[in-house]
Amino acid sequence: MIDYLLKSRTNSISLRIFVLQFSKLKMKETKIGDFEETMLLIVGILGDEAYAFKIAEEFETQTQRPVSIGAVHSTLSRLQDKGFLKSEMGGATAERGGRRKRIFMITAEGHTALRTSRDFKMSLWNQFPAFAEGKLNFIFA
Amino acid sequence: MRQEPPKNAERLLLFFLKEELAEEVLGDLDEKFYDLLDKKSKRKARLNYWYQVFNYLRPFAFKYFRSNSIFLTMIKHNFLISFRILLKNKKFSGINIGGLAIGMSLFILIALWIQDELSFDQNHKNYDRIVQVLRKTTNDGETYVGAAQVSKLGVFLEETYPTLFSNVATTFNRNQEQYLKVGDRAVERMGYFFSKDVTDILSLEVTAGTAFSDDPLLEILLSKSLAETLFPKENPIGKSIELNNEGEVIVVGVYSDLPKNSTFHEMEYIIPMELVYNQDNPETWSNQNTKVYAVLNEGIQIDQASEIIKNVLTENIPDDERVTDLLLHPMKDWHLNSTFEDGIQITGTDLQIVRIYGVIGVFVLLLAFINFVNLNTARCNNRLKEIGIRKSIGTYRSQLIEQFLSESLLYSFAALIVSILIVALSLDWFNEISGKDMVIPWASPSFWILIALFIFTSTLVSGAYPAFFLSSFNPIVALRGSIKQGALSARFRQVLVVFQFTISIALIIGTITVYNQLSYAKSRPTGYNQADLITLRGRSEQWDEKYDILRDELKKRGHIVEMASANYPLTNDLGNNNGFRDPETNERYPITFNTIIVNHEYGKATGWELVAGRDFSRDQEYRTSIIVSESAVQQMGLEDPIGKMVKAPRDFFGRGEDFQIIGVVKDMVKASPFEPITPLMVFATTSPLSFVFLRLNENAGYVEALVGIEETFEEVIPGYPFNYEFIDQAYQLKFRNEERIGSLAILFSVLAILISCLGLFGLSAFVVEQRTKEIGIRKVLGASVASLWNLLSRDFSVLVIISCVIAMPVATYFLNGWLEGYEYSVDIDWWVYVAAGIICLVIALGTVSIHSLKSSLGNPVEALRAE
Repeated sequence: MIDYLLKSRTNSISLRIFVLQFSKLKMKETKIGDFEETMLLIVGILGDEAYAFKIAEEFETQTQRPVSIGAVHSTLSRLQDKGFLKSEMGGATAERGGRRKRIFMITAEGHTALRTSRDFKMSLWNQFPAFAEGKLNFIFA
Repeated sequence: MRQEPPKNAERLLLFFLKEELAEEVLGDLDEKFYDLLDKKSKRKARLNYWYQVFNYLRPFAFKYFRSNSIFLTMIKHNFLISFRILLKNKKFSGINIGGLAIGMSLFILIALWIQDELSFDQNHKNYDRIVQVLRKTTNDGETYVGAAQVSKLGVFLEETYPTLFSNVATTFNRNQEQYLKVGDRAVERMGYFFSKDVTDILSLEVTAGTAFSDDPLLEILLSKSLAETLFPKENPIGKSIELNNEGEVIVVGVYSDLPKNSTFHEMEYIIPMELVYNQDNPETWSNQNTKVYAVLNEGIQIDQASEIIKNVLTENIPDDERVTDLLLHPMKDWHLNSTFEDGIQITGTDLQIVRIYGVIGVFVLLLAFINFVNLNTARCNNRLKEIGIRKSIGTYRSQLIEQFLSESLLYSFAALIVSILIVALSLDWFNEISGKDMVIPWASPSFWILIALFIFTSTLVSGAYPAFFLSSFNPIVALRGSIKQGALSARFRQVLVVFQFTISIALIIGTITVYNQLSYAKSRPTGYNQADLITLRGRSEQWDEKYDILRDELKKRGHIVEMASANYPLTNDLGNNNGFRDPETNERYPITFNTIIVNHEYGKATGWELVAGRDFSRDQEYRTSIIVSESAVQQMGLEDPIGKMVKAPRDFFGRGEDFQIIGVVKDMVKASPFEPITPLMVFATTSPLSFVFLRLNENAGYVEALVGIEETFEEVIPGYPFNYEFIDQAYQLKFRNEERIGSLAILFSVLAILISCLGLFGLSAFVVEQRTKEIGIRKVLGASVASLWNLLSRDFSVLVIISCVIAMPVATYFLNGWLEGYEYSVDIDWWVYVAAGIICLVIALGTVSIHSLKSSLGNPVEALRAE
């Protein structure tokens, strides 16, 4: 879409500027979603065993929610595109029919993103009066 | 044996998955599979494998199905250019696509309608073998074909000719609505009496319970929808229903509703014929009160079977003076081909309507195509420079052809999508005005073939001129800009415009005539007073007993002016008899009379108009008195009818054979208002009959009167349903068919004019654009706006006038064919032609003036500067 707009013979300068800025914005995108954050954490927990099947299993046991391997894989590859994960091919086992697995690892940027996310949440929690004062009474409206 | 993941799922995965992902994904899925195999079952594991494979259908995992072939790149490029050109000329593209889309959608709608008409009754499994037994009677030199058969015939045919017919079913000739009552739920619905083989013959799908048993006397079959109405959320099988407050029948089965395009679609339940036989006289050779349907055995030809049974009636009723042949009428002809004249099958109004609509559909599509072509060719001359440049930098001619064809393909495709949208959105509405139940046949191959044909034709037709003609120019000629468009191509466009307007004008003439015919028939004097008249059915012993009390009470309370009953409704002319004689000369009147018997107050209730003699009265000798209609007097050739004696062919209503005419009334239109009137002969009785007519007291007000009547009913005969119908509403239903034709005609002509005007609009824009400079110069030299407008519009007006001249004979020819189907019909007046011509001229001039006025009012400097 952006490519098309840039290439098209548009005369409006402001439109071109807008399109360029929009594309810059897109490149710098570093936000992570809830599911992505969980994935990152599980990759960290599993360490050397962090490949798509194991991550999906771990997700199911931790959250009691079913997830397909495809969904997990898609998220992992997206995180890799964003630079939060890196991966390399690992060892093969018999139950995989002798096939190798792709082991995912958190990058430095991934660590930063996780920490930012946690700090942000913590700062929110600290501003929440019910908890900030150490009282743990839930209020049901 | 070692279990393995499902091979097909694996194959599917490898088909779409990126190759570099294959190893890890297959490995992961295998691990999952063996994990589940251990923990759960083999089936679960396999199912899960499929689930996982489908969950890999995600963008990140897809292979790039992309090709770098020059051919594909060229096609992509062509479409991109076409798309940009489409966007650049938004107005032209809109007119072009819109016009074609409207034409196409109307064509699709008409095609669906015709398909529905032609597929009538095809839902019946024995479609090819079902026949109706008709009777061709010659009486006093007049031959007519009828469906009413003596009640013995069905059984006789089945027993005598087992080699011809595998099954014969008899139904009651006058199937009428009956009251069905379950608990406190009562409905009045249309059902058929049928002999018990009906489920086999009509191949009804019994969804619950069974078909009729061998002794079906007190059984009933319900259609699914009626079963759901009467027994919501209950199993209807084995439940009992009270019929007409007379007795109970038991539901034995439920069948799927017949579709709307079945002859029997109004039938909502089936009562065994045996029930009628039990009441009426069973199986005689004299009472013509049944219709007979049969299924031919495999391999039996209809003509052959017709020939064999031809003389059955003559042989079994030797004392009948009339010559009556039997003939078989195949199911495929029932709906559209059931018109007989002098005993010979002719093309009836229904079939003619289907043909006319078909012709209109094709013409409207042609109109749209013409627009498409006209606008495209006019516009393409502006692109000669482009062609020149392309050619001089080395484009092959074949590439130009591809370019132009892909452009018109894009236009056609866009139009098609818009038209399918229009059809999908308007189908409900179209179903309503056409009284059908059609759906878009997404699954039907012929539908897609039709669509492919559309695309192909419109692409080729509209793309041909630029693709094959313009691309052939020498680049130098093309670069010089405009080649002088020959007189030929201008003439060609004029012919197309004339053609479009001819069709539009013919359609307008048609629409006006259809409405003329309709209002002519609607304003036909009915011979009685329809206002304030309601009718209801009286049927039960209780009703008969309370009739007089009810009448007195209603009159006393001032709700009604009069109440009377008859043995037939006011809105049909059932009950026909012939063979009446003049007792003096003993000569037979060659007339079939509509004979009805009524109460003495019938005249007062219906408001018939007595023209001679007197009405029936209770204190005089009413039993041998009759009242006849004017047409009866005329056809009997009586000069002074009052006091004249008439001899009936047999004992009538238990009053012997001799009757005296005491009065003459104006003709009453009881049957179709488009047909000639059957002569009426009225007898009188004091006993209540089953069709009741109440003349409301107009001083009391409708609502008060109706509420009062209902209350009185409740008091006098508690529990009897007061289900009434206004006579004028019932009468209006007789025009439904013609009203449908009328609203469709309006739709067609509006669309035809719209399409033609879109074309004219585009064309005039083109012409005006070409003459911009000329107009500028003329203005500078002092031409007035009026003279410029005249200059630009004159050519088009001439075309419309030529169209008028051509359209008149064409429309006259088709409309006379349609009007011939009606006995009571209008002529096409001269003013209709003039009106149609003026309407078209005004609309066309209006369309053209939008452009011509704009350019003649504009500043000449702008016009001269334009390049």
